[in-house]
Amino acid sequence: MTEAQGEVFDLGYRRYEGPREGRMRARKALWVNGVRTALGIGRPLGAKVIPAFLFIAVMIPAVIVSMVATQPNVDVIRHDGYYQIVSMILILFSAIIAPELLCPDRRDGVISLYLVRPMTTTDYVAARWMAFLTVTLGIVLAGQIVLFVGLVLAATEPLEYMKDNWLDVPRFMLAGLVVAAFTTAIPLAVSAFTTRRAYATSIIMGLFIISLPVAGILSLCGEDETVAVQGGKETVVTQKCEPATGDAAKWYALLAVGQVPSFVNDLIFPGQTDEGIFKEFSLVVAELPDAVPIGWYLILTIGPGLALLWRYRRISV
Amino acid sequence: MPPLLEAKELSKHYGSTIALDSVDFQVVEGITGLLGPNGAGKSTAIKLFLGLLRPTSGSAELMGQRPYESVESRARLGYMPEHDCLPPAVAASEFLTHMAQVSGLPPAQARTRAADTLRHVGLDEERYRPIGEYSTGMKQRAKLAQALVHDPVLVLLDEPTSGLDPGGREEMLELIRRTGSEFGISILLSSHLMGDVESICDRIIVLDAGLVTEQGEVSSFTGETETIYIDVDERRDELVAALIDRGIEATTDGFSVVVQKASDEQYDLIRDAVVDAQARLRRMAPRRHGLADIFRSNAE
Repeated sequence: MTEAQGEVFDLGYRRYEGPREGRMRARKALWVNGVRTALGIGRPLGAKVIPAFLFIAVMIPAVIVSMVATQPNVDVIRHDGYYQIVSMILILFSAIIAPELLCPDRRDGVISLYLVRPMTTTDYVAARWMAFLTVTLGIVLAGQIVLFVGLVLAATEPLEYMKDNWLDVPRFMLAGLVVAAFTTAIPLAVSAFTTRRAYATSIIMGLFIISLPVAGILSLCGEDETVAVQGGKETVVTQKCEPATGDAAKWYALLAVGQVPSFVNDLIFPGQTDEGIFKEFSLVVAELPDAVPIGWYLILTIGPGLALLWRYRRISV
Repeated sequence: MPPLLEAKELSKHYGSTIALDSVDFQVVEGITGLLGPNGAGKSTAIKLFLGLLRPTSGSAELMGQRPYESVESRARLGYMPEHDCLPPAVAASEFLTHMAQVSGLPPAQARTRAADTLRHVGLDEERYRPIGEYSTGMKQRAKLAQALVHDPVLVLLDEPTSGLDPGGREEMLELIRRTGSEFGISILLSSHLMGDVESICDRIIVLDAGLVTEQGEVSSFTGETETIYIDVDERRDELVAALIDRGIEATTDGFSVVVQKASDEQYDLIRDAVVDAQARLRRMAPRRHGLADIFRSNAE
């Protein structure tokens, strides 16, 4: 028989005498929790797939451009066109992650625990939004930084390139904030009105995707090709058609909700060629005064923000 | 030192519906039961003290502060709701660490408190399992743990034994009793189960139709009555006859013989009657009032 080597003591319940950091700690904890949720940290493998896919998807264009830029006589996208290239990927990401940040808290009832802690409803909403904004902004800026570094290294005179294009850095940072604020606001607002993640994702995707062809039909018109016969000889005459909505077309182009940050992006990068796949919308909207796309952007960003707050202030726990 | 909770002429109206009608009561240290039927105003009172609602008039004060005006006052308050409130995919230790931080504790201290609290509620072994895999009893204990993780001065428990089987109910009541007596955390227990309240509470506040109908020490409501219950193995009828012979009014109630309005001098006569009837005595004691009597008398 062996002798007892140790003893386990029950220390009983001990009161907590340490620091209490109040509301700031509560906000920070929610922000950190939101960032971890958006990136799938501390969650099953499946939750990490979407953020990883997004990160790779936004990096690929930047890496390809960096590699191709070393080839002579090749047109590459630059910072002004980058957001249009990745905008659909960002919208897809937002449509999936925004419901993840808000819906489970209400579906599982955790919200009733948060709202009795030392924090307000506004603190909760702001912390969730800031977490989502942080992740989205981090991802889009990472792509722009890779693109910038790639373009610098591909230039024959890297220092000269940096000297000539240094303004691109504050511009793409501002444009990144514009894109990230927009692509997080609407999805979060939609997610505040349902506890089902699948519904929220479907509504968000539907809103962004359906708005594109609707705006396209109302505001765009391709080039008409007509064959004219002159003196027995066929010649192809190309003429630009007028959109069915006439002068109002430039206003209808604003209905392309997913492209609204690109309209502001065009103002941040003045005079640069629009390289994106939805450049037609940008060209039409460019006919409007600058205040119009900016005002529309603010309405579509601040409006959902206020709707989000309004909804949460009426939540009964 | 101000009371932990104090309602001063507290009223809450929802349109034309009056949930609380100018009520005054205090919750002090110890375990207090908030009793009342559905619609009595219990949930409204709790929401007012949690700062989730604003009073129509009067005030609901939490340790001298109004929680709906200062959210910081909730830093020392815990709340265990009746409904589900736990994320199924998250491990209890991770969830409690997070909730401790949301209550204002720094990360390192939050981790320590989470581990300690889970040990106190008996979930030490299961702390790394996702909460969704827990049984109903374990989930109730995890709900209690999140209310205690930041070491509150006062914790509000809303129907804490809801959905538990008799064994789980006893365990939860014992845990609540320990929380109040051993941990030194005061408790306001909202329940419609009078047995729960009677067994663990020091004081009660009874609400009915938005009014406080009774409040005070539980012992003052559960005093002895003038009714004596006499339990005998057999020969009950003979005992009743012997009692009646001695001028004592007696009836049978199940396995007991009941003597109404017994006076002190009748105890000797009852003893003699038991001997004469040759009944084997198991127990003889005055009946105590139960909290259910409060509702019975209010209904009458």
